[in-house]
Amino acid sequence: MKTVKISSSRYPSLLKQISDPPQQLYYKGKWDSKLFKNCLAVVGARQMTGYGRRATNELVAKIASMGVTIVSGFMYGVDAQAHRAALSVGGKTIAVMPCGIDVIHPSHQKKLYEEIIAANGLIISELETNHPPALWIFPKRNRIVAGLSKAVLVVEAGFDSGSLITADLAKKFNRKLLAVPGPITSSLSQGTLQLIKNGADLASDANDILVNYGLNYQEYSMNRFSAAGLNKLERGIIDKLTQEPKDIDTLSRLVNISISDLGATLSLMQLRGIVTKEKDKYHFIQEKVC
Amino acid sequence: MLVKVASALNLGLHTVAMEVEVNVAQRGLPAFEIVGLPTKAVAESKERVRTAIINSDIKFPERRIVVNLAPADVPKQGSFYDLPIAVGILATVIGCKLPERSLFFGELSLDGTLRHTKGALLLALFAKERGVNNIFVPHSSANEASIIKGVNVYPVESLTQLVLFFCKQIDFKPVTHKENDSKEEVSEAEFDMSDVLGQEQTKRTMEIAAGGGHNLFMIGSPGSGKTMLARAFPGILPSLSEKESLEVTKIYSASGRIPPQGSVIKTRPFCTPHHTTSNAGLIGGGSRLKPGEISLAHRGVLFLDEFNEFSRLALESLRQPLEDGCITLCRSRDKATFPSRFTLIASANPCPCGYLLHPKKTCICTQREIERYRKKISGPILDRIDLCVEVPVVDIKELSCDDKAPDFLESSKVIRERIIMARKIQQKRFSSETIYTNAEMGNKQIKKYCYLSREVSQILIKAGANFNLSARSYYKMIRVARTISDLEGVKEISASHMAEALQYRSCEKNENVHF
Repeated sequence: MKTVKISSSRYPSLLKQISDPPQQLYYKGKWDSKLFKNCLAVVGARQMTGYGRRATNELVAKIASMGVTIVSGFMYGVDAQAHRAALSVGGKTIAVMPCGIDVIHPSHQKKLYEEIIAANGLIISELETNHPPALWIFPKRNRIVAGLSKAVLVVEAGFDSGSLITADLAKKFNRKLLAVPGPITSSLSQGTLQLIKNGADLASDANDILVNYGLNYQEYSMNRFSAAGLNKLERGIIDKLTQEPKDIDTLSRLVNISISDLGATLSLMQLRGIVTKEKDKYHFIQEKVC
Repeated sequence: MLVKVASALNLGLHTVAMEVEVNVAQRGLPAFEIVGLPTKAVAESKERVRTAIINSDIKFPERRIVVNLAPADVPKQGSFYDLPIAVGILATVIGCKLPERSLFFGELSLDGTLRHTKGALLLALFAKERGVNNIFVPHSSANEASIIKGVNVYPVESLTQLVLFFCKQIDFKPVTHKENDSKEEVSEAEFDMSDVLGQEQTKRTMEIAAGGGHNLFMIGSPGSGKTMLARAFPGILPSLSEKESLEVTKIYSASGRIPPQGSVIKTRPFCTPHHTTSNAGLIGGGSRLKPGEISLAHRGVLFLDEFNEFSRLALESLRQPLEDGCITLCRSRDKATFPSRFTLIASANPCPCGYLLHPKKTCICTQREIERYRKKISGPILDRIDLCVEVPVVDIKELSCDDKAPDFLESSKVIRERIIMARKIQQKRFSSETIYTNAEMGNKQIKKYCYLSREVSQILIKAGANFNLSARSYYKMIRVARTISDLEGVKEISASHMAEALQYRSCEKNENVHF
């Protein structure tokens, strides 16, 4: 059983500063103190929307590729997406479990659990190795997520979301708090918008976050789409999709083309990575992430 | 005095010869016994026969009558033994000779007339096979039996008529087949495709499904119009070919679903069993083996609404019929094979609460609930469904304001014409094979009939890598692309056909749920 005690020199110094740091951390994977140097906590809703997914991908992939460790809570939704986005660019990530480190919760994310360890990330918890998950643990777990990190990024959160607990803790621990703005009509943006109103930094770009680590993301500026040689129909489709994601039936009415031809064109655009389908709607991919 | 009357017994779709031996003894106390494993309906036959004979003003012999139904070891079911038994008794009473090489079949009414009896078509088929010239069936079942040419079908109205005919007092002519009004040839659907606003992609998928006989899975929130679309589906189906319609009529005759004076079935069956349907009701069975909904949907459509709500057992038992086009049911006593080559249309909600894809309502299901819900439909079943489509919820206000909308609304008739053309191409293609449609193509036939150019296979390979397609779904895509090209009347599968086929793969892997 691998543990790091609070008295150990390997114990993350940032975490030591909070009011009630865990006495010991159980962990899985290879403990490397460098992992804890630059940590960003990414938290958000479980019922993530397509927007939340893309926002997480967009921001986290860039930040993780700059060497910042992504810390999150391993829950499905934004948490898992943040872990995945970090892994997809070969970045480092730490999952703080709401249970013992040998218990995989939620169990359907077993693959992700293994991938994190395989990619030299860490699975940590203050609880004994086979402790089952419980509701009272989640807020306690959140204090570790916030405590490890220099900054906390909230991607999507409802009005009474658990992510707001992490946000409160971040303020209490004197961490930088950032929130991704969302559509005012979405119930999953109410929490994040409230955070921004109350003084959290607005994060609309990777550099908004990276500036807190003294880093700057260099945009590789090549417009893939002018080079991709799009025909008139494809340009027309992208034109409609940039306004708002649309389902294929609506799109067919807007560009005035038969559903069979449109279907064929969209399949090919999907294969080229220009558009993606989420739920029943097509989205235009600004920046291909994975 | 002993009289032997020939009849036949239907076991499933299979008919066996049967002999009714009637002995009216000169000695012994008056009695009426039936032996030879009669079930309740057969045993009650003696009361019907006795009363019918008496009510026909014929004296019922007050002697010891023993009726033996041979072969004696097969349990006898049904009510069609009434006529052969009555004929046997009448023959001894009147002392006339029965016409040779004849089968008797039918249920008696107490007044001496005959009632509509199921399975007359099977009897006629059996008679033709065995070279039996004459069959005597109830008047109302005669038209059904006379579908088979080369057998004299006598429409018996009453026992009196039959007695007079045996005594050569009246002339009795076999019936000639009368087709039903032919306007039924086009399936009457509840809705026309043009009644459905929007849903262009779903309609297109239905066109492909009908064009190539592919199975179809519709996923959509409540109120998106899945059921309405499915009910419009019969309207775009081509009518049955002569061979197919005989196959279907046989099944309907065996299960007693042909109405009096009914003729051959020309429209494709459309069966919509409820999700609480028992396993035996769905695939067939029971202590007397009966065809289930899948066989009644043979050469037609089986629409399973709320697919996920069917019992796991019922869903899994669809596997073999979907693959083989027939089902063999075995019981300790019986064994029956029923054909079941149907097009499956399944519809389901995307999640237990139903609103996962809904634009306005929020889904309240957890990830685990959604996964458990979707897992109910196993991989092997999904593998057998070529087409999958998500049915979005349509904003009616938005649609009706759209001036352009009517241009998109094709009527069922127009779509149906394209489908008939595509089916003709397939008929020609598979003339040397045992299959009728693209959906039935196995890997071998795909290699033979679906040439893929370099460009097309490149798309497929790339899609395989990007969308995580399994080997089986490769073949699905090719089958669907083949149908799309047939609908266009093009010989070779082009890149755009293949690209369009990729649109309908989504039940492959639930891309929505996983990453």
